[in-house]
Amino acid sequence: MRRGWRWGWIAPPVLLIAFVAGASIGETPIPAHTVLTVLANKLFGAAFAVDRIDAGIVWNYRLSRAVVAACCGAGLALAGVVLQALLRNALADPYLLGISAGASTGAVAVAVAGVGGGMVSLSAGAFIGAAAAFVLVAALARAAGGGAGVQAAGVIVLAGIAGSQLFNALTTFVIAKSANAEQARGIMFWLLGNLSGVRWPDAWLAVPAALLAVAVCIYHIRTLDAFTFGADSAASLGIAVRRCQALLIGVTALVTAIMVSLVGSIGFVGLVIPHAMRFVVGVRHGLLVPASALAGAVFLIASDIISRIVIPGQVLPIGVITALVGAPVFALILVRGRAGR
Amino acid sequence: MKLTADGVSWQAGATLIVQSVSLAVGAGETFGLVGPNGSGKSTLLKMLAGIRAPSSGRILLGDEPIGAISRRRVAQTIALVEQLADTIDRITVRDAVELGRTPWLSALSPWSVRDEEAVADALRAVGMERLATRSWHTLSGGERQRVHIARALAQEPSILILDEPTNHLDIHHQLSILALIARLPVTTIVALHDLNQAMACDRVGIMDGGRLVAVGPPREVLSTERIETTFAVRATICVDPSDGAHLLRFHGTP
Repeated sequence: MRRGWRWGWIAPPVLLIAFVAGASIGETPIPAHTVLTVLANKLFGAAFAVDRIDAGIVWNYRLSRAVVAACCGAGLALAGVVLQALLRNALADPYLLGISAGASTGAVAVAVAGVGGGMVSLSAGAFIGAAAAFVLVAALARAAGGGAGVQAAGVIVLAGIAGSQLFNALTTFVIAKSANAEQARGIMFWLLGNLSGVRWPDAWLAVPAALLAVAVCIYHIRTLDAFTFGADSAASLGIAVRRCQALLIGVTALVTAIMVSLVGSIGFVGLVIPHAMRFVVGVRHGLLVPASALAGAVFLIASDIISRIVIPGQVLPIGVITALVGAPVFALILVRGRAGR
Repeated sequence: MKLTADGVSWQAGATLIVQSVSLAVGAGETFGLVGPNGSGKSTLLKMLAGIRAPSSGRILLGDEPIGAISRRRVAQTIALVEQLADTIDRITVRDAVELGRTPWLSALSPWSVRDEEAVADALRAVGMERLATRSWHTLSGGERQRVHIARALAQEPSILILDEPTNHLDIHHQLSILALIARLPVTTIVALHDLNQAMACDRVGIMDGGRLVAVGPPREVLSTERIETTFAVRATICVDPSDGAHLLRFHGTP
């Protein structure tokens, strides 16, 4: 914590470069200076001459998309940091623990059943699903004797698999029962993680959600550190364990739910980013939290760019890209974790 | 500061792990807790440390019920060294000891020279200052135990609670940790496996089946009759000719 903030200057230039890359790379390449010109016009009211179609693509499509991608990446990476710290489990991640699957079920139920309508109620449905999934998985792990400790680490992941399978089945059931063929196709594509439909109104939900995650995590840096030797140890260091767990996991579920309701369930971000950042900045949360948020943002912008250009003329779901990176990392953690003990 | 248990019990499902234990440990005292495996020592220590709420009865820190004091203030007074607390994180010795400063830090009182000193003092007290940059995962059991004690000392507590701190240590480290605990100018409550080590405490409490069956000076409570009923072994008391200290010798029952 005391050595962290002098690296803070890195964030703005890195994010700017990522946004500019996100806005300029695509099927129609747009030069970086055009992107910067559009940014200057829009943000600072400058009146530089710029092609109107280019400006439209940059501002309405690609930048909004890059902003939402960055927010999702930061939010999901921090969700991973929080879950790994509190559950004392290297494999904890909102996707693996079934939180994303629960959020999908909630969102699909709202979308297909048509309750309310609009973004907020979709997010609310996703939050209820995410919270239900976490409670179910935690209860299952507890019933299986998961409790705490290094040896019991596998139990909660198994419980997460059971939870994911259940909620994925529920999602498929809801789709099959209530959606027509066209809806079903759209939902299935969205479920794999997809930023194609993202516009500025989505960013107004994604930005506050990501900022909430960052703020809550930074406020709880010492709390997250205090869980190093488990919950009892954290309690003996003066942490109000129950309250902090409820708050941090609640925020994790909320942020995951909002991100899932916007872009579908994107896997492995919460797993890959925190582990990669532990290699770079170490395990103390004073550096790990800001580094993971930044790296998550950049990782998802990059994944989005790749998903747009890897097959010409076709957009790959972004979840496919993150899984292609994430699954090998997951395997690596398993192998390393075994060697480490 | 005085720490009092007032008829505390703790229940897991239908099983009473600790049954109406009353106990008062005074300032500066070294109190030893002994008893067979599963007699409720660890649970009682967790209740005394305020991290587990009793099912009935109450724990008083000074004159206040511990449940009414904020966790942070409790942690500024009481430090707990658990049995075999381990981590999956690749932390260093210094990282682990710095955790002890958690109850003293906040947004308004960030990390300072004062905290740096407390950590350095704690590392020095357990003789780990030269290993400060070593990774936790490369440490031996005895070194890890000393780091845990350093973390507790960095908390600058007035009451230190230790759960079998000499377990899994070789005899040299057992004695050095006991000597370290004896030197500390704080109230100490320590669960011990070795009854001869308990002989060095000011007072000893014996747990048996969740009850505190005897409390008093070690020579009084660690009688051969008590040892036979509680631990199911015969014991004879020997006197060390070098200093007149009482030693227990055990004979297994066939």
